[in-house]
Amino acid sequence: MKGWEPSNVFSATLAFLVALLPCAAGAQASGSPIPHGSLELIAENQWISIGHPFYLGLHFQLERGWHIYWVNPGDSGEPPRVTWQLPPGLSPGMIEWPAPRRLGTSSIVDFGYEDAVTLIVPVHAQGSLAAQPLANLGAEIRVLVCREVCIPGKTQLSLSLPVKSRPPAPEMRTRELFAAARKDLPRAVPQNWEFSVDDAKDSFVLAANLGTQITQVIFFPLAEAQIDNSAPQTLQPLDSGFQLTLRKSDRLLKPVDRLKGVLVLSGNRAYLIDAPVSKRGAQKRGSIGGIQEIQSSKEGPQK
Amino acid sequence: MKRSTLYSMLVTVVICAAPLLVAAPKVGQAAPDFRATASNGKTFRLSDYRGKYIVLEWHNNGCPYVGKHYKSGNMQRLQKEWTGRNVVWFTIISSAPGKQGYVTASEENEYLAKMQAAPTAALLDPTGEIGHLYDAKTSPHMVVINPQAVVIYDGAIDDKPTTDLSDIAGATNYVNLALEQAMAGKQVETPATRPYGCSVKYSGSTH
Repeated sequence: MKGWEPSNVFSATLAFLVALLPCAAGAQASGSPIPHGSLELIAENQWISIGHPFYLGLHFQLERGWHIYWVNPGDSGEPPRVTWQLPPGLSPGMIEWPAPRRLGTSSIVDFGYEDAVTLIVPVHAQGSLAAQPLANLGAEIRVLVCREVCIPGKTQLSLSLPVKSRPPAPEMRTRELFAAARKDLPRAVPQNWEFSVDDAKDSFVLAANLGTQITQVIFFPLAEAQIDNSAPQTLQPLDSGFQLTLRKSDRLLKPVDRLKGVLVLSGNRAYLIDAPVSKRGAQKRGSIGGIQEIQSSKEGPQK
Repeated sequence: MKRSTLYSMLVTVVICAAPLLVAAPKVGQAAPDFRATASNGKTFRLSDYRGKYIVLEWHNNGCPYVGKHYKSGNMQRLQKEWTGRNVVWFTIISSAPGKQGYVTASEENEYLAKMQAAPTAALLDPTGEIGHLYDAKTSPHMVVINPQAVVIYDGAIDDKPTTDLSDIAGATNYVNLALEQAMAGKQVETPATRPYGCSVKYSGSTH
């Protein structure tokens, strides 16, 4: 009976939990520590296929309450920076940034990610790349991790993958991470959507004609010091779209030609917009400035 | 009445709580006056220094971006150089009690001595009043005021928004540029930038 005394039950439970620990750790064994989190370099495919598009991912996991930053960090902070060390024949593209969140509610508002995020990086495998049993891919990452205070971190990541001339095969372990990250990538706006921006003294008025009423919008500016990040964004739903008033930054001294950024609509649908700015009155409200597509994000994994 | 107009009137959605809508001075506008107690116990009033160039430097001794400029000696060099040229330099601490960077007067005096910092004075702003008056966003956030009490520069200390000490050597220092150009009677080429660093730890700040 001694074995079932409460303290022993506790010990047994503890022992059981401790036994589980290596399993839990095993699931994220390749993550490198960063301040208040971990970071792992992941690949979408089991091997690099010569001549095929190839995607790497920087998978961040953060302790509760801590965050990292978007490409435009907002009022404070800075985005993660990568220095790639790739074998000849592999060239990295730009980070594909998922739509961020607004962080902070007072006079200082930042843009970034909490909990977990995967930053996808397209890598071009040139024809000059030779098939090899294992190619070493390295990346040095500098990242600022903040909660109320900020801690800069620097870590070296690596990943070894075979290079083959065979078509790619997906890596099952990372499949969901890439799928989730792609879901949050801003996409090109549909052809029939129309935007215009009025420069109205202290604010920009973004008018959108989407053919349907919109009741929830957040705009994230790609340029720094263009809009006042902490100011409320005032939304007027319209029959066929919306009008969003964005207060200008006090540090914006020159006229702006185009307003570029990410629009997040209800359901976390994110779109990349790039609309021309015209002086108020120069253009009929709601008329067409046209949508200038800047770049389309990749829809779904490569075939 | 058009239905869309009606909708507009009925539904106005605001995505975040209204922040303190401070009308921060823009470059080219008058620098708001303030009075503050310094760590040395003296009281300073900005308008007493009309006729001189003034630099405001927002400070937080726990912030890695501030650390970059103090551990390297960069900030102290700037302070010594410009106060040596008759510029008034106020280091301002707007961290609220309990927040990172908050210091008592004696703690700040110890810090100034240890770092061999040389501002005209370190002003204690635990209520954040001066910080909000200038809409200071980060540490370090720099403001330059001309002898006519007009803001001529507002923003970052330089063009390398990182915590790396090695970035200081190759950086363009906006405070130096603004002071040199203004003193030479020229237009300040880069009068406003995005200030970089840690958010100012105001009372009620959450990140």
